[in-house]
Formats: sequence, C-alpha cells, structure tokens
Amino acid sequence: MRSARRSVRFRPGATVDFVVVGSGAAGGIIAKELATAGLSVVVLEQGPRIEPEQFEHDEIKTFFQSALQNPPAGFTFRRTESDPARPGQIQLLYHRLVGGGSVMFTANYWRFREIDFVERTHLGAVPGTGLADWPLRYRDLEPYYTKAEWELGVSGVPGPFDPPRSRPYPLPPLPVKSSGVLFERGARALGLHPQPAPLCILSQPFHGRPGCQHCGYCLGFGCEFRAKSSTLYTVIPMAEATGRCEVRPNSYVRKIEVDSRGRATGATYFDENKQERFQPARAVVVCCNGAETPRLLLLSTSNQFPNGLANSSGLVGKYLMFNGYSTASGVFERPLNEYKSVMATRLLYDFYESDPRRGFYGGGALDARAFVYPTMFALAGLPQDEPAWGADYKRMLRDYYTRTMNVDGHSTSLPLETNTISLDPEVKDAWGLPAMRVTYRDHADDLAMMRFLQKRAIEVLEAAGARRTWGQPVQETTLAAHLLGTCRMGNDPRTSVIDRHHRAHDVRNLFMCDGSSLVTGGRGQPTATIQALAYRAGEHIARFARGREI
Amino acid sequence: MIDDAVSRRVFLAASGTAFASAWLAADAGDLRASLAHAARAARSDVLLSWEALTPEQAADLEAIAAQIFPSDETPGSREAHVINFLDHSLATWAAPQREDLIRGLDELNAEAARHWPGASRFALLAPKRQLELLRAQDQTPFFQQMRFATLVGMFSLPSYGGNAGKLGWQLIGFEDRPAWQPPFGDYDAEAGKDGR
Repeated sequence: MRSARRSVRFRPGATVDFVVVGSGAAGGIIAKELATAGLSVVVLEQGPRIEPEQFEHDEIKTFFQSALQNPPAGFTFRRTESDPARPGQIQLLYHRLVGGGSVMFTANYWRFREIDFVERTHLGAVPGTGLADWPLRYRDLEPYYTKAEWELGVSGVPGPFDPPRSRPYPLPPLPVKSSGVLFERGARALGLHPQPAPLCILSQPFHGRPGCQHCGYCLGFGCEFRAKSSTLYTVIPMAEATGRCEVRPNSYVRKIEVDSRGRATGATYFDENKQERFQPARAVVVCCNGAETPRLLLLSTSNQFPNGLANSSGLVGKYLMFNGYSTASGVFERPLNEYKSVMATRLLYDFYESDPRRGFYGGGALDARAFVYPTMFALAGLPQDEPAWGADYKRMLRDYYTRTMNVDGHSTSLPLETNTISLDPEVKDAWGLPAMRVTYRDHADDLAMMRFLQKRAIEVLEAAGARRTWGQPVQETTLAAHLLGTCRMGNDPRTSVIDRHHRAHDVRNLFMCDGSSLVTGGRGQPTATIQALAYRAGEHIARFARGREI
Repeated sequence: MIDDAVSRRVFLAASGTAFASAWLAADAGDLRASLAHAARAARSDVLLSWEALTPEQAADLEAIAAQIFPSDETPGSREAHVINFLDHSLATWAAPQREDLIRGLDELNAEAARHWPGASRFALLAPKRQLELLRAQDQTPFFQQMRFATLVGMFSLPSYGGNAGKLGWQLIGFEDRPAWQPPFGDYDAEAGKDGR
C-alpha cells in the first residue's frame, strides 16, 4: 500500500521551503496546509512509520514495553526546583511514530469555549499564577474547529452548554453504551445536563474510511480500521499527494540551526542509523508537543541565542500544564460490557466554569468511561480495600469485570512559572543529548477541583443505581499525556514566546504550533484546540511565505 | 520494579488520558523470538524444556502463581499456562528481571525453611502453609512482581504463552472479537427497546 503512494523524496541537502519537526496532531496538519498551498515541506518525525494494518490489540506491547512511546528512562523529575531530579518518578506519555499522539489518543474532541480564552479578564488574577488571556478569542478559532471536524471526521451533536458553531458536526454521535445510559440516568436524576461525547472517530463511513467497528481498543492503540481520525491517514496522505511533502521517519532532530543574522536555516537531525544530517529550509515549524518543543529550543543554543532559541523572555519550557484528572468507579447488577466500542459516549459540562462559591479556581467536565482492557482491569480495576489476589480476588474480578464503569473528572491546570520543562545537567538520552527534566507540582486549586469532580462522579454513579461505588485517591500528578503551555502565545514578547500567528517573537522564520502554544489548558481535552490552532497557523504561515513575509 | 504504586498510577492514568507502565522496555527482536517459542510450544504435545528456569524454580513459581490466581470451581493460572508465559518472558523480553525474581524466590524459600525446619521448597509445602507464607509476604517487591506476572500471563494475548485457550478472558466475560455491533450491554439494549 505504501509503495503505491506517490511521495516526493527531496535530494539530500536540497533547500526546501519548510522543515516541520513532528508529524502528530499539529505537525500533520501544518504539513498539509503548507504543501497544498504550493510550498515544499520536509517533515522530520523521530519515530517509525506504521501502517494501520500493522496495529494490534496487544496490551503487553502497548503498555509494558513502551514500544512506540518515549522510554520512561528518558527524563528526570522533581516536584520543585529545590528537590533533586530523579529518573522514573513521573511518566510523560507521548507517542513516537508518524501521526504521533493522534494515532493512539482516546479521541475525545472537545472544543474550548469562549470563557477559556478570556478567563483572566473574567475572573481577575489568581495570585501566584500566570493565568492570562489569550491573544485570540473563540470566534477567531471557530472556523478552524469546524475545518478540523469536517476534514478529519468528528462525530457528535451539540449540547446545551456548547459554544456557537458555524456548521453542525459532520457525523452523528457514536451509539450510546451502557455506561452512557447509566450516566444519563444518574445525571438527570441530579438535575444535570448530560450530552453525547464528541469523538474524533467516524460513526459512519466518511472520506473513504469505514465507520467505527466498536472493537474497543481506542485508548493507547492505533485503529486498524482507520475509523479514528488520525493525521496518519487523513491529512498526511493529502500532503504527500501534492508531490511537495516528504515525511521522513526515524529522524530525531537535535538542533534548529541559525545563521549570523539570527534566522533559522534548517534542522540538524540523527537519521535511523544515528548519523547526523542537516536539512536546510527557508523556515522551520516546530510541532513536537509541549514537552519536546521547548526541549528542542533549549537544545538549540548558539552565539546569538545562548539561553536557547526564541527564549529572550526566559519562558521557553515554563507554564507547563497537564490538566487535572480524577476517577470514580461503580459496579452494577447486570453486564455493561464496557470493553466494547469507544471509551466514552456521554459527558456533562455543568461544572465547566470556575465558580467563586466553590472557594477555589477551576472547572471541568465529567464523562462516562470504560476502563476495561483485561490485563489492566485485572491489575488495577477493583477497589483498593479488597483482596488483590487469591480466591476472593478471583471471584470479585469475575463479578466486576463486565459490570463496572467509571465516571472521570477532567479539569483545569493553573499555569505556574515554576512548572517547567528544562534540560537535565547530568542525565543523557539514548542519543547522548541532555535528558528532559520535568519540574511539576499541582496547584492546590487544581487538586481541589479534582476532588470536587470525583465527589460529583460518585453522586452520579449512586444516582444511576450502582450497587457499590469507589474512588481512587486524588494525588499529585505522576503521569501526564497532555503537555501544554510551554511556549505560550501572546502579544508581548516579554511575557510570551510566540505571537498570535505562532511566529517566534525572536526569530522571524521560526514557528511553534502544538500543545506548547496554549495559554490556558481548557478543561481536560486539548486535541481539538491544538488541531484548530494548527489549521489556523498553517493558513497564516503559508500566507506569510507566499507574501515573502518570512 | 512493579509495585502497587505503579499499578495505581497505571489505573489513575488509564481511564483519564492514556497510560503506560514500564515493566520493561523490550527489543522487538526479543519479542519475536518469544512469540516464535510460544507458537512452537502451542504446537507441541510435550512441554519444551524450560528456557529461563530450572525445573525446581518453575515448580515453585507455578505454585505461587496458583495461589495468586487459584484453580477452584473454575480454572486458574495452572490451566492458563501462566508458568509458560513467565518462563518465555524471562528468557526473552523480560530477561533483565530474571535475576531479581530468582533472588526473591530464594529468599522466600529461605523464609519457609526458617518457619518450618526441613521445608526445602515452596512447591513442596502444604497448600495451607503456602498461603500463610504468601500472606505474610504479599507486600514484598518479589510478591508484587509475581502478582503482576501472573495477572499479565492470565489475561494478555495467548501468543505470549499464557491465557491458554483464552481461558483468562472466558473467566471474566471478555469475548475476543475483532468488531462488535450495538447493543453492547444490558442497559443500552434495554434503553434501545424503550425507543430511546
């Protein structure tokens, strides 16, 4: 199938219009927007290219061998600057392959709302934090949310709290699961407003791809049916079909190079044999995610940029946000069989906005969730105060496996200047480069919001008729898949890294677009916003290139 | 080392965002070798010789796994060939864990000998004593490693050597099919009938 694809291969050393670093949720879209605008593009992706027919339902490979993830040993962690940084204390989860996280993500596809862009103005300052307004408004991004939904393929139907939209969803919601039926029952009994969950998964055939087959393996797995709308088999082939875009897998970028005038000249990278190569380009777009993008900028030091590229503000890597998360479980009388179909079919946004009466900043949403891969459930699915092995454990596992569902809380993270991605001064990665050092402590309000949502989740499960409910204790974050805020967007070069068009304040022909661009983290599902930003950025960057404004 | 904190972390992350653990980072070539061995074992009527374990070690570890996921009115870890999974894994992709595991087993056997003079190996203890010993040890890294390995062997793909005949999946009601159509469970079926 791949050999049939007519993909250009540029001559080694040939200068192209753009190098795009990273091929994930944002990079794939940027590449397509630039290539279809007539520009030549080389996409450097650190992971391999894997076609959908090679994806497997293999929990061991996926969760215990980190086959396509960043190796857990590749970074160090500390809670605060005064703590020693150690390997293995936290897991940042992202995927190294063409398509990146868009291949493996759960596919929740929530738009941000008006309030997310202007919360600072609306609420006032939150002391000790970097809560700020965006240089954009929801209305600026709305056309690009719509474009993402229609070009990639998103299923849903608007609910009572949804922001205004210029077009309906292209596809109706996925069929409701038992967890969705029970969630609706419980939520309505409490006077809340459940609605179908929008998913970046096809509920019906669309653009030559089949609808969801309900196999049940979304979270952490690639979709062998191509029903999950990953960039791997949506926009990336569109970019390649122009004949102007080459996606180069197994290419690990170690530095963005600059000339004596401080302009980016291309990217130096290791190829699959760890041979160093240089790809020259007229401009560079960095789309590596909210952890790898700041790391690459910090690695790209030079005489002009001794503190890292585009870092005159000193904010590259700062204001890291993960999104808050909590979970509660309930077991019911009869089988739900949550192991079938997508992860979530119902959610509610009643607690989305920050409410001063709660006594803390924050907002979030609840959704009805499956947590049901057999091995994972056996390891960690039962209440923690019950036997974890032996005959009683076995009996309970057999009773609970098909009858359990979760209600999860997804919530805000305050941007704190002390939560950062930086370079570890001692530990090296597999290429001999400084390892990523993560410094992160959840704000007390973020933890309070997680606990608040967990209590509401238990109430929903009880109102739905669960025969027993339990919650996993809310703790400080030890695993994060949403990597946000580390090259924040703003109008003032002293307080932000990129401008409202994703151009680095310090380097005219350098752009960053991914989770790192976000000024605030929304309520827990950032992919739709990252991809809307990518469509918008791609359009602007192509316009700059054509108008010789780069 | 897998401990409860890790599985809790896995759990916490699992339904919210995405999740991972790090039992080991394995090489793809090792993995293929392991799968090939499992395929050979599945075709063979006689048990292949142990790859990573001595027969005594295999007997002890199988007995421990059988306490963790016992055979009672329904099959357990013995019938699911968890020990084959463990042996193949330790010989291939989980090889770096072998040393710790064997050291843990030796310590457990030493503990048994302290309790019951003359007892030499875990597998030879009366089931009641096995249970008593494990209950006293179930917070040790060794036990947690064995719990992890037993449950992964019970419920992962049969191609890794355990979950023989998909027995683990049948036990908990997980039906292995590549695709489904609604209704999925009792409550959405019922809601569908009500015309919702």
